Amino acid sequence: MADTQLLLGLSFVLFALGLVGVMVRRNALVMLMCMELMLNAVILALVTFSLETATLSGAVLVFLIFVVAAAEIAIAIPIVLQLSRQRSSLDVEGYDRLQG
Amino acid sequence: MKLLTVIVLLPLAGFLLNGLLGRRLGRTFVSIVGCGLPILAFLATLKAVLLLQAAGPDAALLEVAYRWASFGDQGFDVAFYFDRLTAVMTLIITGVGSLIHVYSTGYMKDDPGYARYFAYLNLFLFFMLTLVLGRSLLVCFVGWEGVGLASYLLIGFWFEDPAKAAAGKKAFITNRVGDAGFLLGLFLLYWALGTVNMDEINAAFAAPVAPAVSASLVGVLLFIGATGKSAQIPLHVWLPDAMAGPTPVSALIHAATMVTAGVYLVARLHGIYEHAPEASQVVAVIGVLTAFFAATIALVQTDIKKVLAYSTVSQLGLMFLALGVGAYGVAVFHVYTHAFFKACLFLGAGSVIHALGGEQDIRKMGGLWRRIPLTFGTFAVATAAIAGIPPLAGFFSKDEILWFALASQHGGSAALWVLGSAASLLTSFYMFRLLWLTFLTPSRMSHDTEHHVHESPFSMTGVLIVLAALSAIGGFFELPHFLEPLLPIPAVAGSLEHYEHTFVFVAVAVALLGLAAATFMYRRGLARGEALAARFPRLHRILGGKYYIDELYEAVLYRPLHWVSDRVFLGLGDRLLIDGSLHGLAALTRRASGRLSRVQTGQLQWYVAMAVIGVVGCLVWVWRHG
Amino acid sequence: MTIDQLLVYFFGACAMLGGVLMLVARHPMRVALALISCMLSLAGIYAMLGVHVVAVFQVLIYVGAVMVFMVYVIMLLDVRDPSFVRRYSRMLLPGVVLGALLAGALGVSAVRLGAPAIQPGASAAPSYLVQPFSVEFLREYWLHFELTSVLLVAAVVAAIAIIRTGRRSDG
Repeated sequence: MADTQLLLGLSFVLFALGLVGVMVRRNALVMLMCMELMLNAVILALVTFSLETATLSGAVLVFLIFVVAAAEIAIAIPIVLQLSRQRSSLDVEGYDRLQG
Repeated sequence: MKLLTVIVLLPLAGFLLNGLLGRRLGRTFVSIVGCGLPILAFLATLKAVLLLQAAGPDAALLEVAYRWASFGDQGFDVAFYFDRLTAVMTLIITGVGSLIHVYSTGYMKDDPGYARYFAYLNLFLFFMLTLVLGRSLLVCFVGWEGVGLASYLLIGFWFEDPAKAAAGKKAFITNRVGDAGFLLGLFLLYWALGTVNMDEINAAFAAPVAPAVSASLVGVLLFIGATGKSAQIPLHVWLPDAMAGPTPVSALIHAATMVTAGVYLVARLHGIYEHAPEASQVVAVIGVLTAFFAATIALVQTDIKKVLAYSTVSQLGLMFLALGVGAYGVAVFHVYTHAFFKACLFLGAGSVIHALGGEQDIRKMGGLWRRIPLTFGTFAVATAAIAGIPPLAGFFSKDEILWFALASQHGGSAALWVLGSAASLLTSFYMFRLLWLTFLTPSRMSHDTEHHVHESPFSMTGVLIVLAALSAIGGFFELPHFLEPLLPIPAVAGSLEHYEHTFVFVAVAVALLGLAAATFMYRRGLARGEALAARFPRLHRILGGKYYIDELYEAVLYRPLHWVSDRVFLGLGDRLLIDGSLHGLAALTRRASGRLSRVQTGQLQWYVAMAVIGVVGCLVWVWRHG
Repeated sequence: MTIDQLLVYFFGACAMLGGVLMLVARHPMRVALALISCMLSLAGIYAMLGVHVVAVFQVLIYVGAVMVFMVYVIMLLDVRDPSFVRRYSRMLLPGVVLGALLAGALGVSAVRLGAPAIQPGASAAPSYLVQPFSVEFLREYWLHFELTSVLLVAAVVAAIAIIRTGRRSDG
């Protein structure tokens, strides 16, 4: 099934795009959203594999990733809020006090 | 009841009690424990002697305290062996030891380290008894090292004085050299015979099939150990310095008991030496040389204890001379008489020092006989005894030594006799010199010192009297005959058989000659002696410098060793190699971590980039190996 | 080429476009919108593939909950923040290169390792419709399902803790 290759490729590209976003964008919120994009890419890959192998477990993992994403966002957003309140900026390049 | 074990353990108990509790429980407790337990040990020894006498002339008591180590069907036992030789040694150690303990209660009365002193003294007795009672050479070696330790502790007893602490170290280190020889001999014996029990070793060498080891080699190695402990040339240098310790210690350890351990060892292993004429020859020659040279050094010493120290070295040399010519019983006889009169001399010297408030230089004494008559009397008896004036103890033993040095078929020769007699003459001379200068000549004391002179308390003089009495009558006990079942008396050369009494007269004449010469020289004081020294300045300087043996050792051994240690081992090995490698490693780590820590920029996205690099690396690795 | 396949391609292209837009958009709100469109496109792909459960969750949880939350926060924050104005960090070039490298490496890996093998003994393709999937899911994986609640509780507690520490350091 050619679709499998295609979907996997799409998944890789999305993952790479998310990763590049995490690396190159300054804004912490945008970085968070790029991470969501990476998770979505992973979900796509899992669904593809699940269909390919005709098993349920891929879809189950997807469900778990949803939970993780929800938990992540529930913690990440407050952290972002605290950061913006304390440092009055969301620029991650400014958060460099921990260095060797 | 394990009688022998009890004898050994009693002083150990004293050490533990005094060492642990002595400071808390006060001087009375320390004195009672410190003197009581050695006296108990002496009584136990007497009982053991009675048992032994009942058992017959060549019987032995044997007691296994416990098994030390076992391997396969073999093992080492801590066993105690008690025959007539051991009996004599144990009686000397516990008897003279107890007397000296009692003396010490007076001598050390005001010392702040009273409890420590008695603890060490008891520890010494424990190790010394282990040494002589041990059946195996291994147990003997434990005692051997232990008395070295106790000696070190007691020489450096007043360790606040660096010179005294250094003397302790010198004694210890010099002894290590000898110990190396002892250990090698021990290993060799075990390798060849498979046993280290001394009675079995003797039996093995007496067996018709000779053991597969050179008796001479073993004998020389063990004798090297003996030279260390008994201060024979070339390891004699520590004993004069050992006089830094308290005087009773010098009397007990460095005159009466410990230094005779070497004599005991050779006598105990006579089975080896009987089959090793070369080793015996070495023993005799070293012995007679030590006797002679130490006596010459003693001629010019001015410190009362140093004179006695060199006299001890000289007398030990005579004992080894006797051992070397096969007269083992005679050597032990001299150990026995020497213990009495030398202990008496040292304790008398201690009493003099005590009376003069610490003065040890005989040039600043004189005229003491009126002021401290008891000390003088006992000292005079002991001096006559060591000089060999009949019928005192020293006469008998020394006369027999010289007789066998000449006449023994086991290596006796005229040269040994001449040197031995010369040493004997010198002994008589310097001992009477000491007596004259200390007691009889007009006083040369400073007014201040003279004012304070007082006779010592009874705890000291009483001991002196006992020892003087023993020095006077001890010689009538025919010890070589008593020991003959164990230690055979060598055959006498046929041509000399009928001249024994002649040589007795010669020996007496030699002693009296020394007495006369000393009287002539020193009756009036120092003047004639100093005139003689001025006549032969170079000789006087050499003797006063003790033949510069210490300086020789310093130049030949100490300096190169110090140089090598300082430059090579410390400078190159320790500082450069070990320290350098560690410091280098530390510096490398610090610098590397300094560089690496720059990676940790605090930039979140840089970390992500590194993680991505890692992930890509993992993928590539998977392609390669997956 | 069926209409289904065409739709899959279309949604895929939309998703990719959304991803690229996320990188280039300046304002976070636009980034969020791009992400939402990307997610919706993915949901469309899932629906086309017949994985209805995932499609439904994608829309409900991601778009409906997570992204709404995100948009809400973006509206809360100050728009004049410098990070809103300057998009890219210093890592722009290395980041892009590394991303391309990773995508390439993943693609090569997929080609090299081949497609996952179909498990022997696997029965007919399972249904991804909501009801059969749910029944199957809760029969097989009920423990995992329950354990996720623990994770969520932990997340809630953590969120509260963060808020409180923030308050304390303020006051």
